[in-house]
Amino acid sequence: MTGPEQPPVAERTSHRLSPLTPLVRGAVFVVAVAATTWDDLFTGRLGTFALILLGVLFAGAVYGYLSWLRTKYWIDRTELRIDTGVVYHQSRRIRIDRLQGIDIVQPFVARLFGLAELKMDVAGGDREGSLAFLPLTEAHRVREVLLARRDAARGTEPDTDGLGADEVPAWAPPDRDIAALDLPTLLLSMLLSAETVWLLIGSVALGVALLLNGVVVVAPALPFVGGLALISVRKLSAYYGFTVSQTNVGVQVRRGLFERATQTIALARVQGVVISEPILWRRMGWAKLDVSVAGAGGTSESDGRPSTTTVMPVAPLSLVHELAEHLLRGDDDGVEVRLASVVLSAPPRSARWVDPVSRRFMGAGIGDELVATREGWLNRRTHAARHARVQSVRLSQGPLQRRLGLADVHVDSPPGPVRVRARHRSAADARAFFEEEQGRARRARAAAR
Amino acid sequence: MDDLFAPPGPGWQRVSPALARLRRILLAVGLGFLAVVVVVLWVLFEPPPWVPALSLAALLALGVWSWILIGRNARRWGYVERDEELFITRGALFRRLVVVPYGRMQYVDVQAGPIDRAFGLARVQLHTAAPGTTAHIPGLPADEAARLRDRLTALGEAQAAGL
Repeated sequence: MTGPEQPPVAERTSHRLSPLTPLVRGAVFVVAVAATTWDDLFTGRLGTFALILLGVLFAGAVYGYLSWLRTKYWIDRTELRIDTGVVYHQSRRIRIDRLQGIDIVQPFVARLFGLAELKMDVAGGDREGSLAFLPLTEAHRVREVLLARRDAARGTEPDTDGLGADEVPAWAPPDRDIAALDLPTLLLSMLLSAETVWLLIGSVALGVALLLNGVVVVAPALPFVGGLALISVRKLSAYYGFTVSQTNVGVQVRRGLFERATQTIALARVQGVVISEPILWRRMGWAKLDVSVAGAGGTSESDGRPSTTTVMPVAPLSLVHELAEHLLRGDDDGVEVRLASVVLSAPPRSARWVDPVSRRFMGAGIGDELVATREGWLNRRTHAARHARVQSVRLSQGPLQRRLGLADVHVDSPPGPVRVRARHRSAADARAFFEEEQGRARRARAAAR
Repeated sequence: MDDLFAPPGPGWQRVSPALARLRRILLAVGLGFLAVVVVVLWVLFEPPPWVPALSLAALLALGVWSWILIGRNARRWGYVERDEELFITRGALFRRLVVVPYGRMQYVDVQAGPIDRAFGLARVQLHTAAPGTTAHIPGLPADEAARLRDRLTALGEAQAAGL
């Protein structure tokens, strides 16, 4: 145990990755070689082809071992250094204070060996760092060390300044699960999705075409169907076993069938939430929850690849509300955050001239702690943010809106899925909304200081 | 007169009238160049005379319209420094009002290109953690821009709020 009087000794000793790393990385090749030379190996006669493959495999094993031997990493107070390369040596240095987030990913093979990869997002650049593979507990420990040092380097948490690796609160298993996604719900929710609708429309169109023209038209449609199927499979494997739990450092999300991904959301950095209710889910009373986290940015969902901002892919609305309120409350334990307490009001009828359809589904309101707006018919999205997290407030009015006496109010948040905006309010209403929001944001900032 | 974009106090601090002058000169140079191109093409290819005549008329109409719009736009730029936040308004056709709390500012830029400098102007831009914050003030006299930058930076540090 090092006392505070001892200078924070930078951890200068180098660390290695798990010695199983080459095996995990090469597993695909091992399986491939075994599969192609199965017959030969079994009968005991080795053809030239098998010999060449085995030779390649052996060379690969040697290279993998050398690569493992060469790969080392160091963590000191300001820097993560990763040395790699057998032929060309490479030394990558990642500034710890620039780290945005660290995810733990477990590809399928790695999972079998209890290993995990650490993926580091670095601010101001697409260059990512990665440590693959470490034993899972080790991965969690390194992650905590890096995050604690980052916060110390940024000065956001002065207490942790100068912490040695051993003093960082050790990674503890999740305290309790808040919510988990069961398989039937996931499957049913996928059935009630846009992909299914497209598949149905596509099938009907194909059926009609088949009747009219014969088989020729079916072949070109196959990639389309295959693509949709692939999206569904990806979604299923990504969201399988989705679990949200509370840990000592924040809310943790674990998900994945073959590849387990773990993501931790620091509650203090939550900027706002988006609750999506696609039309097909509304009868079931389901919703999806996304969150904006400062500095995380996040990717949106595409081709079934899960978005890193999703905290709950599908759950009953009441549970989603509960989760959303928990996230919005952040680390201000005393604050009462109630989504239901925000009363949304619709834009005036004159908005029909600028937005005849979607104005019917718009709403905006300000509550004690929250500002919330809603938009969308096919996918109803409710965006909510705490007054204490609001960056700037804007009022805007185009020429047509001016003629109609309407205006928009935007409440700006850091990059992420959350976009709180009250569109097509009457001019007086918009100004009142603007004044109210900026006043509440000011008081919330003052209270936080 | 306009309640929606009314200032949060006695009145807007307007930007320098030199901003409209500068933009009008740029407009005149740009349109003048296009007019020269039309005339040169006229001489080279000898099209039916109504083609270049119509082009020149269109250029002139565009010029007049832009000239008026530039004036209205430049007159509508304004800002007010309050105790805790900066209000900026702009736009004649598309009107905007933004309020940026000093505590949310991450940094303040002052930019002055060669043309700006010839007119003694500079542009101040505010950045927050939100990309949606579009807060800049063009056409400030250089010393006012420097004063504003220093004051905003000082207030920003004093009132800084974490994310």
